[in-house]
Amino acid sequence: MIESQRHSYHLVDPSPWPISGSLGALATTVGGVMYMHSFQGGATLLSLGLIFILYTMFVWWRDVLRESTLEGHHTKVVQLGPRYGFILFIVSEVMFLFALFRASSHSSLAPTVEIGGIWPPKGIAVLDPREIPFLNTLIPLSSGAAVTWAHHAILAGKEKRAVYALVATVSLALVFTAFQGMEYYQAPSTISDSIYGSTFFLATGFHGFHVIIGTLFSIICGIRQYLGHLTKEHHVGFEAAAWYWHFVDVVRLFPFVSIYWWGGI
Amino acid sequence: MASAIARSGLRTALRGGVRVNPSATRSFSSGASVEEEAREAAKWEKITYAGIVACSILAFVNLSKGHPHFDEPAPYPYLHIRNKEFPWGKLFVIQI
Repeated sequence: MIESQRHSYHLVDPSPWPISGSLGALATTVGGVMYMHSFQGGATLLSLGLIFILYTMFVWWRDVLRESTLEGHHTKVVQLGPRYGFILFIVSEVMFLFALFRASSHSSLAPTVEIGGIWPPKGIAVLDPREIPFLNTLIPLSSGAAVTWAHHAILAGKEKRAVYALVATVSLALVFTAFQGMEYYQAPSTISDSIYGSTFFLATGFHGFHVIIGTLFSIICGIRQYLGHLTKEHHVGFEAAAWYWHFVDVVRLFPFVSIYWWGGI
Repeated sequence: MASAIARSGLRTALRGGVRVNPSATRSFSSGASVEEEAREAAKWEKITYAGIVACSILAFVNLSKGHPHFDEPAPYPYLHIRNKEFPWGKLFVIQI
């Protein structure tokens, strides 16, 4: 098939995954709202929707990997599409997280009388930023160094070293998540403790969620590197994971400085 | 077509004459050679190890301190807000 093609573009085959993903998203949204309002069957619909989305993600990405590795459709010009798409996705993520950090600064720069006119609000004890918060900023940065090591190892054709580097990346990410879990467990406040708790757990929680997504992305890249999918000329999936990982570790600096440190003084 | 064959022949002839090592250059790169990439990989490997050592020391220091204890705050109305039941059942409070 590829021999008869006279251009370098990938004309995709019809696929059921866009509609199945959309139906899964609809079921998840409706099921989620029903569940949170204690409607009967809400939990079932939510679970079905999530299973549908996870299944769609698996089979859709499986198809993309087959198109790339077995069918060779991802020519240099085709690779531009996912690159631009992923850059735009990260830009939208920056805006999303900016909104959460801005919610915190909006509430803390001029604290209202209802919370005592001070920040942190009266009665709120805060964590020492020099303890776990600082450690949990250093860990993602070290993990970012490890993913850069992996990138150069791939470009140098050192396949085994790249796998080791990705193992280091993922291990550091898992240690981060463990410490974040410990910090939440020991935290003196909860998400229901004033605007401080709401903004603190929303911002750090969504950052933690992004770390988990980046960890899964890096694990997939490690497996693909081990299987020999990534070459020194063609490793778009890895590049996207590395961009995402750098985005996640740079974003961590903002809650560390503005929420843990400045917001805790 | 003929010119393409001619160009390809010229390239082969040039390669034979100059003896460019194909493993030393990459076609799809910002220009760094494989050797440069290997040096960069070694540099970032060392930085990663330095990061792991620093994180391990800090983790040891933090964990050996034990976890902090906080006094129960006064019952201000904006603290410990409980307005309705959770979807999975009764109101619950995590006791730590």
